[in-house]
Amino acid sequence: MAENSDRNFSGATRYILDDELAKIVNISMALEMPLLLKGEPGTGKTMLAHAIAEDLNMPLIVLNVKSSMKLVEALYQYDTLTRLNDSRFGDSTRNVSNIEEYIKMGKIGQAFSAEKRTILLIDEIDKAETDFQDDMLDVLDQMEFDIIEIDKTVPTKVRPVIIITSNAKKDLSDPFLGRCNFHHIAFPDPKMMRKIVDVHFPDIDTKLMDNAVSAFYRLREVDAIEKKPATRELINWIRALRADPDFKPKDLTKGDVPYLGVLFKKSQDYARATNITNRRRLI
Amino acid sequence: MHGQQILQTAEDLFKMFINFFYKLKNADIPVSPTSFLAFQKALSQGHINTLNDLYTCSRTILIKSERYFDLFDQIFAHHFEGAEMPDLEGVELEEMARALLDEWLKNPKLLAQALGMDESEINKLTPEELLEYFKERLKEQTERHDGGSKWIGTGGTSPVGHSGYHPGGMRVGGVSRNKSAVKVAMERRYKDYSLRGPLTQAMVGEALKRLRNMVPAGPKDQVDIDESIYHTMKNCGEIEIIFKRSLRDRLKVLILIDNGGWSMDPYISVVQTIFNYASAQFKELKTYFFHNTIYSNIWEDPSRIHRPQRVDEMVRFDPHTRIIIVGDASMAPYELSATDGSIYVHQRSGKPSIEHLKFIARVFPHVAWLNPIPENMWGYTHSISVIREIFQMYELSIDGLEKTIAHLMSK
Repeated sequence: MAENSDRNFSGATRYILDDELAKIVNISMALEMPLLLKGEPGTGKTMLAHAIAEDLNMPLIVLNVKSSMKLVEALYQYDTLTRLNDSRFGDSTRNVSNIEEYIKMGKIGQAFSAEKRTILLIDEIDKAETDFQDDMLDVLDQMEFDIIEIDKTVPTKVRPVIIITSNAKKDLSDPFLGRCNFHHIAFPDPKMMRKIVDVHFPDIDTKLMDNAVSAFYRLREVDAIEKKPATRELINWIRALRADPDFKPKDLTKGDVPYLGVLFKKSQDYARATNITNRRRLI
Repeated sequence: MHGQQILQTAEDLFKMFINFFYKLKNADIPVSPTSFLAFQKALSQGHINTLNDLYTCSRTILIKSERYFDLFDQIFAHHFEGAEMPDLEGVELEEMARALLDEWLKNPKLLAQALGMDESEINKLTPEELLEYFKERLKEQTERHDGGSKWIGTGGTSPVGHSGYHPGGMRVGGVSRNKSAVKVAMERRYKDYSLRGPLTQAMVGEALKRLRNMVPAGPKDQVDIDESIYHTMKNCGEIEIIFKRSLRDRLKVLILIDNGGWSMDPYISVVQTIFNYASAQFKELKTYFFHNTIYSNIWEDPSRIHRPQRVDEMVRFDPHTRIIIVGDASMAPYELSATDGSIYVHQRSGKPSIEHLKFIARVFPHVAWLNPIPENMWGYTHSISVIREIFQMYELSIDGLEKTIAHLMSK
């Protein structure tokens, strides 16, 4: 906190932040607690970490969690294969008997050993097994870890700002939650969405903006859609609409909705959406 | 805390937060003393200067799931209704809260020393006792302290920048918050996520996503370290790398739905939601339909005419298949136990339905019955009690769905 008390997060160039979320980020940084973000895909959980990094000019380290991941992979890797190879062929400059030369820092390890305060984004923690989460809890709590192979402890030089995202595939354990601050990002409302679009297309035609955004929300409401289009899809869709010289914003009000494939990625969803837009007018 | 009560002392203020904490706790929101202490730390560091700050910070620190956001909103609105944070000159809870809590959070040993207590003694206290003790200490300190620094309501000195333009050209967008925090809380924006709220698509998806079963499948593209070492040793050190298949999700799921009769009508749409979400989830997902209870056939088509599946042939299915039966399990006793119990003449098969149900339970170890009728009503229906003896039954709610998943995934 001390060295960063004068730096607070207020939003980055491409990221629209509501002041509630800004407050939450700031309080988490001040209390030095990891911030756990939940919310449906496309609400900008991952983008937030990028935005903070950009805004506060801190390096961003991203740990993309995978389902089979073990915590030790995130901390460091002991490259046994290279060592085995070196010992057999002996054509490298590394000293085979020095194990430390074969230790590579993982993402958490990099964040801990960095000289400067970093943002550590642990993306989609819920993909991993509960063991992973519990083990990580210990490491985050103690802010240090051991490299067993060389019997060395890696302490934290500067405590990183930790952002954790979850899509809620699995519940996180209670002790894990206890150490985090929590926020659930709701899907942006149309007003907010207009601001988001505006950031991406500052010169957008108001007519196009209004029609595209309201068509987008109507399409999100179509029943039985498996994967609802999110912010990313809307941005790409508007990009497609703008690139088409024949397209006029008025078309959307007539129920002529082009490039549905940009919004709906699953064939069933696409068929459903096409069906609906043909049957009735959207706006 | 109702009305425009003016809080005179730090003690009052402290009591207000303690009460708030216990209100949350009594509403069955899992709030821990640790997080309450973290909240106090935030207060003492001067991060909370307005009611808005209080709302946002207390929620982000104390509440760990969006399912409780709605309940939190209600309690917050009730507790702080009309109570704008008063301007409290000369309240110096800050000092002692900081001194006490920082140590508490960072180093229980140090705190134990400072209080003249043994660490093990502190550990022995229950969370409630701990809080009580903490409160007592704070009171004592309030009396002793004679400094004067401002706390809540001093306004404008927040280090937390939450509006305006940064010189670097960043922008703060979003909803401008002209409403009071209480009003925001009263909007109940998180109603749909509430545990007590209706089942929504997102919640069902969330619960069902936990149904996973990882088994080796696909190409052999992962190095099997143990096998590689073994074979390399066998080769006198000539390296031989062995590959194995990676783990994939290969769970088979059957959903059997009671879609007949008016008694299930209100629940059909909820159950439909479950389908929509479930379909992409598994290696294999099949849905069958039945009416009231299961006789010799179940059907692939909702009208229960065209594509029957004989129940006794289900023995050919993978026994690890997870079966979820959705139905109200409410029917006349004879429908279950009579040899020709079916209300449809063409279904009379010579075996009572209960035998078919027991057969399913024998063949498949992982079966759960989801019942849309609230659990406290189950005792009044005979057929429910009978079926409960055969299958694990859960209520069709987010809670029940989670228990179902846990039951289906247990070994």
